[in-house]
Amino acid sequence: MAVESINPQLCSGCGACVLSCPADVLRMDKALKKAVVRYPEECVVCCWCVAECPTDAITLTPKRTARLFTSWG
Amino acid sequence: MSVETIREQRKITCDVLVVGGGIAGCFAAIKAREKGASVLLIDKGCAGKSGQSPYAGSFMVFNPAWGHDLPAWMDLVNRTSEYVNNRAWTELTITQSYDRYRDLLQWGVRFAGSSEENPTRFPAPSGVTEQLRFEEDRHGDYVQILRRQVRKSGARILDRIMLTELLKTDNRVFGGIGISVDEPVLYVISAAATVLCVGACGYKPAAYPPIVQLTGDGEAMAYRAGAEILGKEFVDTHISRVDIPVGIPNMLGRKQPVPPALAGLDGPKRGRTLYNAEGKPLPPRPEGGSKYTFTYLETEFEAHAGRAPIYTDAPDGEREMVGGACLGMSLRKADGLWPADLQGRSTLPGLFAAGDALGTMQNGSAYALTGSALANGAVSGALAGSAAAEEALRIGHATIPEEETSRAAQYVLEPLARKGGFSPQWVTQLLQNTLMPYFVSYIKRADRLEAVLSLVLYYREQLDPKLFARDLHQLRLAHETRSMLLSAEMRLRSALFRTESRGNHYREDFPCRRDPDWLAWTKIGLNNGKMELSKVPIPEIWHPDLNLPYLERYPYRFPGETEPGN
Repeated sequence: MAVESINPQLCSGCGACVLSCPADVLRMDKALKKAVVRYPEECVVCCWCVAECPTDAITLTPKRTARLFTSWG
Repeated sequence: MSVETIREQRKITCDVLVVGGGIAGCFAAIKAREKGASVLLIDKGCAGKSGQSPYAGSFMVFNPAWGHDLPAWMDLVNRTSEYVNNRAWTELTITQSYDRYRDLLQWGVRFAGSSEENPTRFPAPSGVTEQLRFEEDRHGDYVQILRRQVRKSGARILDRIMLTELLKTDNRVFGGIGISVDEPVLYVISAAATVLCVGACGYKPAAYPPIVQLTGDGEAMAYRAGAEILGKEFVDTHISRVDIPVGIPNMLGRKQPVPPALAGLDGPKRGRTLYNAEGKPLPPRPEGGSKYTFTYLETEFEAHAGRAPIYTDAPDGEREMVGGACLGMSLRKADGLWPADLQGRSTLPGLFAAGDALGTMQNGSAYALTGSALANGAVSGALAGSAAAEEALRIGHATIPEEETSRAAQYVLEPLARKGGFSPQWVTQLLQNTLMPYFVSYIKRADRLEAVLSLVLYYREQLDPKLFARDLHQLRLAHETRSMLLSAEMRLRSALFRTESRGNHYREDFPCRRDPDWLAWTKIGLNNGKMELSKVPIPEIWHPDLNLPYLERYPYRFPGETEPGN
């Protein structure tokens, strides 16, 4: 499970999901004025973002996103 | 956002700086404001949503008018703590819990039950104490009310600022330096008193509760500045669902329908009994003795015997669970800054702590006083906030020497200054793989602890100085990783140091309690650049009756404990 995407058609750009994320997964795209999934590998599936989103714009995926880290990145 | 360095400094002055916005931090901020101090509360995430507070289930309240008996409550904790609780703090949390409950009511927090004067009182699993439950739609609504109360009190809140290094002058802490994850700005915060309410230290476990933020930043910066730490050998564990740790309905609340695609993805519902892979129930805890409620060390013992996975008999079907899911979740006040008094002072002037960041040892080596973790957050937060405000107003502000600010700023910016090196995610993953196996953190033995310590020391010596950050997100991660590496060394050294088993600390090579040698706490400090551990005896007046047969003193048996100790 992880946060997969934020539907830009539904996102109102309120920023509530960005503020609620404990792992800094989500960021505001300043140009688009919409929230985006910037660091999905850090998602811990706490679901705060889904709970906070007033427009149900956020999709969770059943796929885990455990990433293989190389030592440099 | 790619950032090479941060040139802009934003200077803020306040009487009291509160770090962390869980229940302890909110109480500290509000009570400091009540004393007339100017207060800044910062949180590296979002105050009111950070840390463990949103996931707390119950709030212990002691009220003689409800028939509660203080000696009975104290006796329960003294026994279940296995006699290493700090009885002064245990009693403070119990006796001041009602006043903090009244505060919560006054601020608009609602509890389950018919009326404020007569809420529903839920018996704790011990059968001795009672606790209240929040009347809330979803996890953590009550902390949102606390956040609003912090604002109402006149305290300022800054979210997404991570305090990273304390500032000192004349051996006194006067605030610290923080980084923003959003903009390339260094926050230089000058405060007459600083209260760390940053929670415990975990290692970013992907399980319940999601304590990804609790990376021991507070104790790490306090230790570097010269404060003392205790209790790192007592780790907690928590069962969690394998597939989804928190649960959609818990977060969406009862009022909002669960989308069909997410149905069934609820969080850990604890059954009354845990079953091993052979379908046999795990042994129940002994009544009236050490009742290790919610610690689940037994799941580790089952795994060790080759009988995992573990299931529960939750009413709506069996669920696969894992034990040890939340490595590093504090044992509810067992580890943290050494308490220098009963007001939240650390051993370093100007530095206070509360909640899980303060090692009050109120529950000793095992947690049986359910609901007391949250009650202590409120009680110690209120005490530390009040005391910090009084001290701040008495002592006043200091001018922090420019070289001290430069030193701290350089430390904070090091990972950004490097052009290459190791990624914080990779080092964190290494640390998790090294430290998280049950046979390191829960079922301990000297040879394995020493082997792992040698690896962690290598990480600290060789990887930590080469951590590099490409952006502000990674700068936060780099400092979290540094904190976790330091905490790991403390955990391993403390586990090696305590050559006995007690409560949540189990040593295969020392499976008995060793009284009176280990009726003691483990203190950690920095001495001439080296980590130094010492044993601090518990006052004899708090000792158990050593004439009582061992088997009665300690009704709980550890695996391998074939011969009674002593």
